[in-house]
Amino acid sequence: MKTKEPVISHLESRLAALLHVGTWLACGLIALGLPLFFILDRKDQHPQFSLAHLADPLMKAGIAVFILLPVLRVIVMLVLFRRQKDYRFAAIAALVLAIILVSVLVGVISSRTAG
Amino acid sequence: MSVGFVLWLFAIAFGCSALGGMLGMASGIFIVPLLTLFGHLDIYTAVGASLVSVIACSCGSAGPFLTRGLTNVRLAIVLETATTSGALTGVLLVGIIPTKWLYFLFAAILLVSAQQMWTPRRAVAVLLGAADEKSWGDRLALNSSYPDTTLGETVDYRVHRVPMGMLLMYAAGLISALLGIGSGVLKIPAMDTALRLPLKVSTATSNFMIGVTAAASAGAYFMRGNIVPGIAGPVALGSVLGSLLGARILLAISSEKIRLFFVVVLLLLAVAMTLTAFDVHLFGAAK
Repeated sequence: MKTKEPVISHLESRLAALLHVGTWLACGLIALGLPLFFILDRKDQHPQFSLAHLADPLMKAGIAVFILLPVLRVIVMLVLFRRQKDYRFAAIAALVLAIILVSVLVGVISSRTAG
Repeated sequence: MSVGFVLWLFAIAFGCSALGGMLGMASGIFIVPLLTLFGHLDIYTAVGASLVSVIACSCGSAGPFLTRGLTNVRLAIVLETATTSGALTGVLLVGIIPTKWLYFLFAAILLVSAQQMWTPRRAVAVLLGAADEKSWGDRLALNSSYPDTTLGETVDYRVHRVPMGMLLMYAAGLISALLGIGSGVLKIPAMDTALRLPLKVSTATSNFMIGVTAAASAGAYFMRGNIVPGIAGPVALGSVLGSLLGARILLAISSEKIRLFFVVVLLLLAVAMTLTAFDVHLFGAAK
């Protein structure tokens, strides 16, 4: 059986670090936004600009990080496979990215047609 | 959206995830029924929120599996072509399938999950067999090894019947995009019976793939405006924190009792979801 131990473990530790950091970044953004809802609930007492308006954008950013994280993980795999000159697997990773892109485009198109 | 509702969302996600974590199971399957039946959210918003929490849990727990060498990264990327294709199909179908059928489908998946929970997974014998140059496992160099802590040695394994596994993975991706679940229900039979992976490898690899699969559909839901930050945010955060806690809790009650509890809950939710499909709302009507 062919083993590619050193390169593979390098890939795995990179991916683990990426997912770890990304998860905490996304959680942090959501955790920052969440308490602001408490202010938002009494929005009538507040002037035009208040921290409460940041609740939604912060949580939206956290959610976006979560959705982008696996995509970024596939990009990292693509780059590392290419670097290993494993073009077959780089192509497979590119295919996965392409499918995700098409899926997101379907979302964009259907949101436009729905008005 | 009231503070009370946001806290309720967080608590529900946290609770499900902590309980699920104790058994090492994904809790995504509970989120959508609870959000639609008790939170009275429409099913698309519930599915959108659940998909984000599925990604969050996958990413949050992937690290240790990867560093311990349990995740078969090469196999994962090959199977992800099938799961994301399934997700893409689901995204295309989601506006076409009547919501009534989504509730039916969900009820069916809950029943299958209850059945799987009732009969625990058996470890499949790791068949090494002779190298077969025609098999996908050999051609794509997917065969690998993992460190088994109970045996204290590295175990080699071969990946069997990849095309069959791909087909099941496609179905898993499709169901995941429609219902906002990780589709462990379909991934586990695919991994255990078609690919014949060792139990630990299949758990780690399946968990690793769920994030990418859900990202394909969550991206579309996000663009379509079905992901509401005030709902998906607390659900995702609750799920990640809950799963971290759940994995660390030493069980005071036997896991057999929790298993039985889950089977009952799954069956009750299946009944409630079927009734909702028939427009019978046990816990008040949806908005």
